[in-house]
Amino acid sequence: MAPPAPPARTPAKRPSTLVTVAVMLTIAIMGSLWVPIFARTQPELGGFPFFYWYQLILVPVTSVLCWICYLLLRTRRIRTQPGAPSRGATPQGTQGARR
Amino acid sequence: MNHVNAVTLTILVASFLLVTLIGFASARWRPAEDPMHLNEWGLGGRGFGTFVSWFLLGGDIYTAYTFIAVPALVYATGAAGFYALSYTIMVFPIVFIFGPRLWSVARARGYVSPGEFARGRFGSQGLGLAVALTGILATMPYIALQLVGIEAVLTVLGIGGGTNPVTRDLPLIIAFVVVAGYTYLAGLRAPALIAFVKDTLIYVTVIVAILYIPSRLGGWSHVFGVAQTHLTSTNPATGKPFGNIVVLPAGEWAYASLALGSALALFVYPHAVTGVFAAKRRDVIRRNAAMLPAYTLVLGLIALFGYLARSVPAVNAGVKAGGNNPQLSVPLLFQSMFPSWFAGIADAAIVIGALVPAAVMSIAAANLFTRTIYKELIRPYATPAEETKVARIASLLMKVGALGFVLELNKTFSINLQLLGGIWILQTFPAVVIGLYTRWFHRYGLCVGWLAGMVYGTVQAYRTTSAVQAHFASSAAPVLGHITYIAIVALLLNVAVSALFTVIFRWTGVQDGWDETKPGDYTADPVSAPAPAARTRRQDPLATR
Repeated sequence: MAPPAPPARTPAKRPSTLVTVAVMLTIAIMGSLWVPIFARTQPELGGFPFFYWYQLILVPVTSVLCWICYLLLRTRRIRTQPGAPSRGATPQGTQGARR
Repeated sequence: MNHVNAVTLTILVASFLLVTLIGFASARWRPAEDPMHLNEWGLGGRGFGTFVSWFLLGGDIYTAYTFIAVPALVYATGAAGFYALSYTIMVFPIVFIFGPRLWSVARARGYVSPGEFARGRFGSQGLGLAVALTGILATMPYIALQLVGIEAVLTVLGIGGGTNPVTRDLPLIIAFVVVAGYTYLAGLRAPALIAFVKDTLIYVTVIVAILYIPSRLGGWSHVFGVAQTHLTSTNPATGKPFGNIVVLPAGEWAYASLALGSALALFVYPHAVTGVFAAKRRDVIRRNAAMLPAYTLVLGLIALFGYLARSVPAVNAGVKAGGNNPQLSVPLLFQSMFPSWFAGIADAAIVIGALVPAAVMSIAAANLFTRTIYKELIRPYATPAEETKVARIASLLMKVGALGFVLELNKTFSINLQLLGGIWILQTFPAVVIGLYTRWFHRYGLCVGWLAGMVYGTVQAYRTTSAVQAHFASSAAPVLGHITYIAIVALLLNVAVSALFTVIFRWTGVQDGWDETKPGDYTADPVSAPAPAARTRRQDPLATR
């Protein structure tokens, strides 16, 4: 069961980034898990009771939160081909990729 | 319902034929250098980028059964059915957290199924076997339920059914034989390509329905008003109201625990894991966690179809005529609201929507069987070609088994088993997901915990009763005064027992397993190295980033 390719590791992120990501994901999960927040009919919006429009709006909100987290955690592409620009490759990232 | 609408039927059959063509042609999509490797047949070459993964995962997770059962639940009980929306909202932040780790370790170690990870991480064949068997057991009734979705459409169309035993189930059998054929041939490539058709049809149907139907029914205020009047009236069978338009305080625990339990369970289901493993890069998982909620929005709108159906007298009459079967409500809604050609497109969306998950599920179960059972216990030195052969046959057997479920046993049995499947599959969570973060648990501790969770969950589910059912009436049972999803309680018990026995086994010096994974495997992103996908990029315009 040999690995198909030598693993390139993703460089570790700063603690402040990780805390931000954790907070945002917690908000995203609790928004739909904490039922008493939205188990009500008022205020209505376009004929929809609160229970329904809140959840439908929560969908894109969660999506945006996940996208921001993705951007925060994204690792820059490390190009190993000779001649390709290595812009954004941090020293430890390159080292990780070459292991 | 005896009159078959020729236009609707023609469009449905034409869509099915189109999908069949795509299914068989997909064997030539992104041709592999070595097609007889399980990475190719079982994971589509592990080369799907963000775009293809989005269609595949969306087509795979949001099944036809969901599209029939969720609005049916909303139609019958109101807000309680919306737990499915809450669960698909919270599932993606959860996947965002552990999905990339699972992908990385599978990629680094060449795993194709969650059973192999449990075996490798804890050095225990028994634990791997437990995860594999749970996965296969939970998946088979899930495949069977995809047929229930097709059946609902066919019943409303007026084909199938009847008294003749040969023609009664013939449409279902034909559909399944065809799916089994192209899955056998093309593996995961077939559902990945068909998912494009499925999802396009679903999006078109939902957008048209949501823009067109409410205005014909007098607007959303009216629709919610009718639903509320019905839900708060007394159900003669139980002497209580049918439900409510919002979750009442007494139902909050059940609602939240069902949503959380389903969300945690979703990504240990083998078919979802297969979709994740097929991704090309680690980033693909996180991007998709942000992009898959588009389907959640669709699911939420489809759930609202339950209320729309309630406002249409013809649907209510049809549901009653069909033996009080709320699962007919959505196909009946299409039939009575849409012109017949568009009803054909909408029905095709459901039928094709059943084929994609059925194919992925049988592939996932076949991967589990091949790597964790066949290779571990029967033929440890099987070549990749032999593995692929075995997996293909296993996928056929899974389909035959599922078909047998639907044709031989009654439908209630499949639904009960699927309910149990959700409870069972969550019992693999400690080994598969907690195992991604810690190896503290002892391998046998996890086995004992798994057993405790399985037994408790099964017994509790068996004991739930209702006015119409003596057993398996519900997936929630009272615990400490709150109605709670059984799977969550069983999981807590599972973790507690695993921890207790871990301490006992450590203390008594029972030997622990050997961990074959390395810490770096969990963050590995082997993309800068020449990946197998790189060589096919030129031939394939769909191979996106």
